[in-house]
Amino acid sequence: MKKAVRFLVIFSLMVCFVSFGVNVGAKGLVDQASKARVKVIDVGNAGSFTGAAASPCMEIFNSAQVAVDEWNAKGGIQGVKIKHIMGDDALQPSQAINVAHKFVADKSMYGVVGPPMSHIAQATLKIYGAGNLACITTAASKPSLTEQGYKQFFRVNARNDAHGWNCALFIKNYLKAKKVAILNEKVAYCVNMASETVKGLKKLGIKDILQETIVAGSKDFSPVLTKVKAFKPDVLFFIATAAPDQAIGVRQMKELGIKATFFGTEGAKDKKDFIEASQGAAEGAYVYHFGPDIYAIPAAAGYVKKYEKKYGTISGFGPTAYEAMNILLTAINNAAKDGKISRKEVIQKLHEIKNYKGILGFPVTFDKKGDLEGSATYFFKVVGKDFKQVAIMTGK
Amino acid sequence: MDLLLRELPQQLINGLTLGAVYALIAIGYTMVYGILGMLNFAHGEIYMIGGFTGWWILYLVSRNHQIIMNAAIVIGLMVVASMGVSAFVGMLSERFAYRPLRKAPRINLLLSALGVSIFLQNFVLNYQGAKPRVYYVSSLIPKSIALIHIGPVVVSFMRIMVVLITFLLMILLTIIIKRTKAGKAMRATAQDLEMATFLGIDVDRIIVLVFIIGSALGGAAGVLVGLLFTQVDYFMGFQAGVKGFIAAVLGGIGSISGAMLGGIILGLAESLAVTFLPSAYKDVVAFAILIIVLIFRPCGLIGKEVQEKV
Repeated sequence: MKKAVRFLVIFSLMVCFVSFGVNVGAKGLVDQASKARVKVIDVGNAGSFTGAAASPCMEIFNSAQVAVDEWNAKGGIQGVKIKHIMGDDALQPSQAINVAHKFVADKSMYGVVGPPMSHIAQATLKIYGAGNLACITTAASKPSLTEQGYKQFFRVNARNDAHGWNCALFIKNYLKAKKVAILNEKVAYCVNMASETVKGLKKLGIKDILQETIVAGSKDFSPVLTKVKAFKPDVLFFIATAAPDQAIGVRQMKELGIKATFFGTEGAKDKKDFIEASQGAAEGAYVYHFGPDIYAIPAAAGYVKKYEKKYGTISGFGPTAYEAMNILLTAINNAAKDGKISRKEVIQKLHEIKNYKGILGFPVTFDKKGDLEGSATYFFKVVGKDFKQVAIMTGK
Repeated sequence: MDLLLRELPQQLINGLTLGAVYALIAIGYTMVYGILGMLNFAHGEIYMIGGFTGWWILYLVSRNHQIIMNAAIVIGLMVVASMGVSAFVGMLSERFAYRPLRKAPRINLLLSALGVSIFLQNFVLNYQGAKPRVYYVSSLIPKSIALIHIGPVVVSFMRIMVVLITFLLMILLTIIIKRTKAGKAMRATAQDLEMATFLGIDVDRIIVLVFIIGSALGGAAGVLVGLLFTQVDYFMGFQAGVKGFIAAVLGGIGSISGAMLGGIILGLAESLAVTFLPSAYKDVVAFAILIIVLIFRPCGLIGKEVQEKV
């Protein structure tokens, strides 16, 4: 008798659990491809979290984490928690391919923020494309990335052709230069940025241009800078990916007694790795950036407060990442509203995003290619230990 | 042409400094090759470790990027400490990665050296991170003498110092090799390892000594590059290692004076190449010189033709 009672109790408990489980399953989110219940929504973050670009990329990751934490605090997406997964490519395209394969193979992954480097984004486009996995880059600016017909690739930053033209305008109209030297690294972003700027400068009537190449991480730019010195330019546009190289560049430029104005890229907008590392040489130098001064935008105050409390100061790569993650999660949420979700649906919902008002100070709408509609470039000057926004160019 | 004349003296100075550093690295390659006939591919990493040691010393004696001691003492300390640490790491690598393989085929030694190189690189990556470390050098040299103008040419005090320290170390090395008993033993071992053993030379000790001296010079090169270019990172040993190796082969691998000459020539060639060609061809010129020299003088500029022993 006792045995029978025990059996009955256990059996009824089991029935209880099983039916409870089925109940949740019926109410929860279902993946359209596998028909399985979605237990967790993974979002990837592909970037160079080790290597010379580690500090901007960690800012990207941490900013996206702020967005994920906010969504999870609100209960996730349709009651399902979001997991933010790091994929480190160490600034190596070969490594990035492994990251892309890993992300695509993750059945519960519905979108990726990144990769932020053009040459790395280029290497992974096809893999993410074949996996229909939405990617929103926060910094990759090579135009051709969105010209190859891939539907899954979006960006919340302007393209190089916009930046190049804006930089040319800045060099001519703001810096009043007549002779320009351009040094660029031999990677996709830098080569492209250089050619777009040269194109813009020529259009503006500046024909006196010296263009030379540099190797990232070589630590000694004095031979090529000596050549620049003999050219006597008004402006030296130093197009490198990471801040440490530009800190060396500006330091060796001053050391050689070159009188030109140093103009660096968005990668140099880093207080520690550029201003501090240049040991005073960066004073008065200019950099351009795809993002505005985040401290001047009221809507961004909440993000800034949360980020700085947990991770320290923001250099400029974080805000677009926070925005990108929020847009991605909004699209995933829109796709999940009907209780079913698929990667393709997420991509479709991203294309439907119109006038998303986030923290960047301008509404985000993607065009057919996945590019941002209306592109601005922001210019900063090094004053003391900080960057001061001095100009905004919007192609005019 | 006018442009060229303005540029040339400055490029000579750039090349000479770079060449001095290459030469220091090349000596380590050439000494080990001379005695063991192996290419110590981990030598670039030994150089990198020297760079990091120097950074730590500077960091430890600085507050807010300002040194708290006499600058000359700090620089001396940095050079000596990095030479010491690099020598120690070089010694360890010899003891644990090369000595057990001394009787094995050459290729095993080479692979072992590659292993040591990857190990050291990742060890530093793990413990020091991937971001470049910055040498805050502005308080080391007084502003008034930091830059010296000679006509259109600018020479930084640091460059002069680097070249001076390099030549000092080279002279010291030459004295050790030519004038001391240990140096004599080294030369004997390099000539014929087995015969040296018969003559009562403790070959193991001599080999250790060679690794210590070679690695110490590599470490010194690392700290000098840090002082000169202000940044070190875990990956810097790779490129420097390749350049040091080229310099060694250029001068005649196995020959110490050849390594010195090879380094200087390589540094000058790279700097001057930028003057005459687009800067993208800088490394092309370095390798082209290597190929040409090897075609016309297979044993390098001042290397000796050694007859194969039967």
